[in-house]
Amino acid sequence: MVLLSAPLWLRSRLTDRFWRVQEVLKYARHFRGRKNRCYKLAVRSVQRAFVKSTKARREKKRFLRALWITRIEAASLEHGLKYPAFISNLLKSQVELNRKMIADLAIYEPKTFKSLAALAQRRRQEGFLAALGDGKEPEGIFSRIVHHY
Amino acid sequence: RYVRQLQRLQLLFSPTAADARGARQFVEEVALDFARQHPDVVLYVSPRPGPAPLLLAEYLNGTVREELIASKTSEEIAQLATKLAGQSGLDIIRIRKPFHTDNPSVQGQWHPLTNKPSALTVRGPRLQPQ
Repeated sequence: MVLLSAPLWLRSRLTDRFWRVQEVLKYARHFRGRKNRCYKLAVRSVQRAFVKSTKARREKKRFLRALWITRIEAASLEHGLKYPAFISNLLKSQVELNRKMIADLAIYEPKTFKSLAALAQRRRQEGFLAALGDGKEPEGIFSRIVHHY
Repeated sequence: RYVRQLQRLQLLFSPTAADARGARQFVEEVALDFARQHPDVVLYVSPRPGPAPLLLAEYLNGTVREELIASKTSEEIAQLATKLAGQSGLDIIRIRKPFHTDNPSVQGQWHPLTNKPSALTVRGPRLQPQ
């Protein structure tokens, strides 16, 4: 005959409590204080740590962009240009480098960055001439736009 | 030319235990075909009276991976074996960056004296007092 429910005297005991606790504690090992040893405190801290790391992925993009902008600003000030002038003139000369690449160039390739700053400066001067000179002088060389169709 | 990173696969199982049934079926049916399909992997089959059936994979860079095959069907073990054969022995952790260079700088890395006039660092020939 088939018994559909187990009798009351039959107990099932938890045998892998140690490993279930270790699964949580392994993520808390580098925490400070009793949170890295005591399970009750660690559960709360690990949950908060995971939530914070998920939310921080969006902030990381903002943070890194701000870091690149700071670095580009510092590098362009060494060459006598301010950041808005540098970026706007680079875009007008159709140099479509993003801030990450320009920051890496400024660190590892200083001569290339110097030439980029010179290009932006030249385009800036040509822009001033075009705005203030009013058509009598010839058009600037670096202000020409290349169409890629 | 492709060099398979898996050196040898050791199949350790017990000839009588119940959870090694899949391993025994694998050895009887599928192991020969697997060995023929992967001629550059050495397959060692060793029945031993030990506790649990294991699949040991050793790679060319020295890493040894042990996989438990207790209570697995022979198809699952075959799938596991093909997966291990396609892996390299590198640790399976998060790769921080998908790129790496040994020479990041071609023109010389920036240091605080790169854009300063060279009179600050270079000492010219000493002028004779005239």
